[in-house]
Amino acid sequence: MRHARIERWSRGNSPIHKRHAAARILATAGLLLSIATLPPAAYRAYVLYFALLLFTAAAARLPPLAMVWTAAAVLPFALCFALATALAGDSGLAVRLVIRSYLSSFAALLLIATTPMPDLVAGLEWLRAPRFLTQVMQFLYRYLIVLMEEANAMRQAGAARAGSLRALQFRQAAGAAGVLFARSYARAEAIHRAMLARGFEGRLPGFRRKRFTFADAGFLAIAASLVAGVRVLLWRS
Amino acid sequence: MHIPDGFLSTPVWATMDAIAAPSIAYIARRAQREFDDHRIPLMGVMGAFIFAAQMINFPVGSGTSGHLVGGALLSFTLGPAAASIVMTAILATQALVFQDGGLLALGANVFNMAIAGVLAGYLPWVLLRGRKAGVFLGGTLSLLVSASLALGELWRSGVRMPASVLAISIALFTVSAIIEGAITLAVVQALERIQPGFIRQPRGLGGKGFRGTSVLAGASLALAAAGMWIASTRPDGIEKLSQQIGLASHARTFLASPLAEYKLQLVSSPFLAKSLAGLIGLFVVYIVCLCVSRVLLASRPAPEQEAA
Repeated sequence: MRHARIERWSRGNSPIHKRHAAARILATAGLLLSIATLPPAAYRAYVLYFALLLFTAAAARLPPLAMVWTAAAVLPFALCFALATALAGDSGLAVRLVIRSYLSSFAALLLIATTPMPDLVAGLEWLRAPRFLTQVMQFLYRYLIVLMEEANAMRQAGAARAGSLRALQFRQAAGAAGVLFARSYARAEAIHRAMLARGFEGRLPGFRRKRFTFADAGFLAIAASLVAGVRVLLWRS
Repeated sequence: MHIPDGFLSTPVWATMDAIAAPSIAYIARRAQREFDDHRIPLMGVMGAFIFAAQMINFPVGSGTSGHLVGGALLSFTLGPAAASIVMTAILATQALVFQDGGLLALGANVFNMAIAGVLAGYLPWVLLRGRKAGVFLGGTLSLLVSASLALGELWRSGVRMPASVLAISIALFTVSAIIEGAITLAVVQALERIQPGFIRQPRGLGGKGFRGTSVLAGASLALAAAGMWIASTRPDGIEKLSQQIGLASHARTFLASPLAEYKLQLVSSPFLAKSLAGLIGLFVVYIVCLCVSRVLLASRPAPEQEAA
């Protein structure tokens, strides 16, 4: 399963994984910004950035081929729009849409494949993202798979009772969604009570509250100069 | 429709990010006061519920099926401010974990779906005092507004499509919006049978939370329109401004305006100054965001938990 694989990747122990999450978030943001603002004809820069991303993935000991494939999840949407744009007569833009969205998606994947969710939340909070939002995100992530499994179990149970794998009727589907809502709500309240009993005060404790060290600043400086370096190369030639 | 990175032009995504970030910070404050910290688990789990509910297929005839998008349903059950936060958390999770929607484009997606979409779903429901028609219209409008905003932003970014393709996609959006309305209505009715307390009582337009949020949404919509218009139709105006500030031509070349004389300008201006200008610009935006959230924070009495 795609999601479980990314989760496993993010628990790695490479030099890239060890950096403060905020440093990786900022480096990713810098790369995304640079990709978004490249001039139209900068195809060499796209190649160089792709090489940079692959190199970083290798340095983080992530399987490059699997990364290339996972990042391709953006392509169906991008290709549809590129096709429409090409039909409208702007084939140059169509190609750029596909390349830019793929590279950006790869960069985002690299961030999440080297950063477990609690670290990501800590990094976002270090950058002063609203804590309320980041905490909601963290709970959402924790119960995502649990509730998806619940929905899946309900679907299987429904199929078993209906005697065939025929799609549910509209009102039955609405009933299933309603039941899922009620169960989620009840589960949320049970979780909340259990957490209160354990002394929950509105935020999940971070297991590894890291400091932003000189090594992190160095990593950020190297990443920034590589991203900027590609643009220098482009302009010099 | 989640816009990935690379589709929006710099003026468009930058404007949308600059608007969405402080708006969400403000709404987060508001939701925090309404809900207090102890409801965080509930909001997170309801976000996960929306993910899971998307696995339930609603047959809509001729072999196709739709699924719940959920912005309107969340606003009927949790209230608009909390619904915006939950939708934002969903969009951020989709962008980060599933690469569904871009990170630079997150501001645009959040504005389309979590702010404008949620409000467009909430408004008819309140106006019709929670009647069936209001529930249906809420679901329909929330999707319609998000989709047309997304199309408008893509159009503004220069992504063109032939008229026939555009007509087909608008028709598809309308159909899926109507399906969302029907699904929302069916789920709300099912919920009322299961346990009536889940759906809130519409408090009318006098509610303080509602007024604040709608003023905010209206203001940011106006700002978005003005910002994108200034930024993308009148690069001259920005250039004049930046000349006055002393950033001269760097800022413009940094933003990669697709102009013919681009190369010439690049050669004639030093690289360092340009990237510096860009970095300074970014830094200024970051500081402004921090200050805005500080001011918003200071103007309201912070809840007790804030001290920790």
